[in-house]
Amino acid sequence: MTTPAPVETLDLSTLLPGFVTTDTRPGYSGWVVDKNHLVEFASKLRDEFGYDLLTSVTGVDYLPDDKMEVVYHAFKTTGGPVLNYKVQVPRQDPIEVPSLVSVYPGVELQEREIWDLFGIIFTGHPDLRRILMWEGFEGHPLRKDWKEAYFEEESKPFKSRWPDGKIVQAENNNKFSDNIAYPAGFDPEKWIPEGEDALYGSLAKYEYTSQDGIKNDHIVVNLGPQHPSTHGVFRVSAVLDGEIIANLKPVMGYLHRNHEKIGERNTFLQNMPYTDRLDYLSSLSNNFGYALTVEKLMNIEVPERAEYIRVIMAELTRITNHCMALGALFNDLGTFFTPLIYLLEERELILDIFEAVTGSRMMCNYFRFGGVARDFPEGILEKIKGLVFERLPKKIDEIDRFMSDNEIIRSRGIGQGILTAEDAIRFSATGPLLRASGVPYDVRRADPYSIYDRFDFDIVVRQNGDIYDRYMVRLEEMRQSVRIIQQAIKGLPVGEFQTGKPQYQVRVPAGESYGRVESPKGELAFYVISTGKPSPWRYHVRAPSFINLTPYGHMCVGQKIADIVAILGSIDIVLGEVDR
Amino acid sequence: MTFWNDPINYIADWLRGVFMGWGITAGPANVITALIGIVVIILFALAIAIALVWVERKVVARFQDRLGPNRIGPFGLFQPFADIVKLIIKEDITPAGADKVVFNMAPVISLASVILIWAIVPLASKIYGADINVGVLYLVAVGSFGTLSVIMAGWASNNKYALIGAFRMVATMISYEIPMVVALMIPTIIAGTMSVKGITQAQSNLWFVFLSPLGLLLFIISAIAELGRSPFDLNEAESEIVAGFHIEYTGMKFGLFYAGELLHAFTFGGFMAVLFFGGYGGFFGLEKLSAFAWLSNPFIELVVFLLKALIGYWVIMWVKYSMPRIRIDHMLTFNWKFLTPLAFVLLMMTALFDKLLAPTQFYVPGMFLSNILLAWIVIEILRKYSKRERIEQEKPAEPVIQAAHH
Repeated sequence: MTTPAPVETLDLSTLLPGFVTTDTRPGYSGWVVDKNHLVEFASKLRDEFGYDLLTSVTGVDYLPDDKMEVVYHAFKTTGGPVLNYKVQVPRQDPIEVPSLVSVYPGVELQEREIWDLFGIIFTGHPDLRRILMWEGFEGHPLRKDWKEAYFEEESKPFKSRWPDGKIVQAENNNKFSDNIAYPAGFDPEKWIPEGEDALYGSLAKYEYTSQDGIKNDHIVVNLGPQHPSTHGVFRVSAVLDGEIIANLKPVMGYLHRNHEKIGERNTFLQNMPYTDRLDYLSSLSNNFGYALTVEKLMNIEVPERAEYIRVIMAELTRITNHCMALGALFNDLGTFFTPLIYLLEERELILDIFEAVTGSRMMCNYFRFGGVARDFPEGILEKIKGLVFERLPKKIDEIDRFMSDNEIIRSRGIGQGILTAEDAIRFSATGPLLRASGVPYDVRRADPYSIYDRFDFDIVVRQNGDIYDRYMVRLEEMRQSVRIIQQAIKGLPVGEFQTGKPQYQVRVPAGESYGRVESPKGELAFYVISTGKPSPWRYHVRAPSFINLTPYGHMCVGQKIADIVAILGSIDIVLGEVDR
Repeated sequence: MTFWNDPINYIADWLRGVFMGWGITAGPANVITALIGIVVIILFALAIAIALVWVERKVVARFQDRLGPNRIGPFGLFQPFADIVKLIIKEDITPAGADKVVFNMAPVISLASVILIWAIVPLASKIYGADINVGVLYLVAVGSFGTLSVIMAGWASNNKYALIGAFRMVATMISYEIPMVVALMIPTIIAGTMSVKGITQAQSNLWFVFLSPLGLLLFIISAIAELGRSPFDLNEAESEIVAGFHIEYTGMKFGLFYAGELLHAFTFGGFMAVLFFGGYGGFFGLEKLSAFAWLSNPFIELVVFLLKALIGYWVIMWVKYSMPRIRIDHMLTFNWKFLTPLAFVLLMMTALFDKLLAPTQFYVPGMFLSNILLAWIVIEILRKYSKRERIEQEKPAEPVIQAAHH
């Protein structure tokens, strides 16, 4: 991988003179673009400067300045640091910003999310509906002036919870108590949810000609939200021509709890355990991303030993996640649980290590700003060594031997659900999904963080971009993770595991920060804005599972019903992260 | 005739005697005795189904590195009874949009189609329901009856998943019935009779698996497809269409489908034994020696039959729990382009060699080797063909060329 030129040498202000200015606020970086020239700017950036991967789009509500801002983070797939640019619009409805779907189709779901949560209208967006909240919801919850029912205080810890030293529980604040009678005249059996028309209306817009040239009636089939193979409460709405998919839309938000709004109320440290609940199968990677982001803002160093511990734990997490992902994929392909259970056995052994080190098997809450919460306990290194030097390599080979040459796995996987490299980049796919399509893009190499530049490992790439390749990429990544852990254990130094004293209330200087890690699912990034107060002004999660779903419909059209679940399994989503 | 060497007739005669003693004439007495016999066979089949629930759960647990049911009774033996109690006390739901009559009839027909097969299952030389001279034909005819129940369930449920499951089932059944029938023709040709008891007796010296191993393979594959078990479980497809045709069924109605499926699988295991492994007999002439005459005791034969059927059932389970699901288009391709032609070639070959070699001492090795030869030729052709296709498919896509900017 070539070292890209540092971004500072780019002078984008000459690109569109007068319309692009440097962001001069203290602690901020990047460019501010005039909204009427956004599309032009973005296409120039993509075509002339090679920023082909627009990973993250999000909004920020600057209520005191009476401004709304849309923040874009773009990268080169050849590697290099972030380039961010912003569009600022006055905070008067209707707030309109041109949509970038024509340049980067990957922003489709993200722009829908911004419309949903901030109420920014993206002109030119093909399917601007609510995505996480339900149709018919009033207001846009991430706006700073939006208050929920039983609103108490702006930020935690809520002092109203212990007036005069007496503890009040939040659930007792509900004045309806446990009265859950339906309103008069409301019959849940006859209730037809609003907003389904909008979904089916957008679902009906498709171009599809049946292969035999006969005009057939198409039926709409909903898979989910309660379905064994959607990996959670996820819904797929598909138009079928017999067994063939003519059009498909993912429907999500059933697990939505507005993680970001809650995050803006919490103090910085209170968010750490909360990130565990995003991708609950790989909590340590989430911790890693959030810790990196806030450390960037605080500008503190992490001790050597803590860095090694972090890498070991993050890579073990990747193995557990891929065990789960592959097992679930095999299940989706119809192997009645047998390989899943063999893979879960390995996952359990790693979870034992998590339990010994962090005190919890899944919700680890282990990382702290400037280190980790506690040191490795005695004897745990022997356990990890036994796993990564002996057991895991054998077991990964075993799965490879049993499954990779299985005729049905091959026929179900090879050539199915293809995502070409160009499409994968356009749709902002990251992680194994992108690498299976032939793009050697891994944040650990492209924009190294922590101490990943010290280890010797390969970026796993496959060229076809089908289900089988995604399976093979994950399998091989498990081997690479084992390699990294082996090196990290050998290099693990003695020393501090935490910078300074552990503290409950960290002081975070004002500014913005975009920190990203290669989570097992893809690029996991946090965009945090601090105003110097105890809680972040804006806390955004760039969730890989969510954004990897953007090309889902594109991959499914023309495939069979059976492939809906197989392709979903090969994307590898976790609903805690998709719906946030 | 004692109870020990002909139990069924012994009891039947005794019953007939009792009824006639009550003053019933011979005709009605015969009918009543036969009806009692039917009930006994049904109860026997259902008792086996209950045992199979335990076997299935225990075996799959072992495949999956688990323990399986072990809480209720020794080795969890009473687990099926707990299951049944649970199913019975569940709410019995008929969906509002369903076609009520058809919906409620489907599970009954599903189980009935299997139990009908049990009429001809030769459990032992003296224990069987009926020995009809078109037994094999009857097996195929009644087996298709089960498809009807699937279509009824799928259509009457008024559910899209159920409908998709049902039409997948129809596609499977229509396709796999052909290799199935052909595979059944092979023992028929060799034995010279369609009566399942006749086929069993024809194997008393040599199992047909030695004469037609390929026929056995065809039979297993098409039987699994007919049963709708993995890798051909498209009609249920847990991970795609949730439960397929029986998605709307609850409680014991679902239980009937489930019991029907298990019993069906076991029955096909039994037919595997009957058609290719000598059924209740087939001791290679051993029972003719006076020291081993006890082998022809009907109770010994019954145990032998059940054991052989369990082994067949175990093979079906083994495949089910270690194979992913095949996709519908691949399944149809596999059948029409591969299995059906192969079955017909095998049928013609068997007929030809059977007549050519029958009187000579080359009969057994000739039949066996011709089967092996055919299998080898087919595998070679297949390998060549799929290699070509695989190279075509796995041709790596052009690597992305990334323009070097700045």
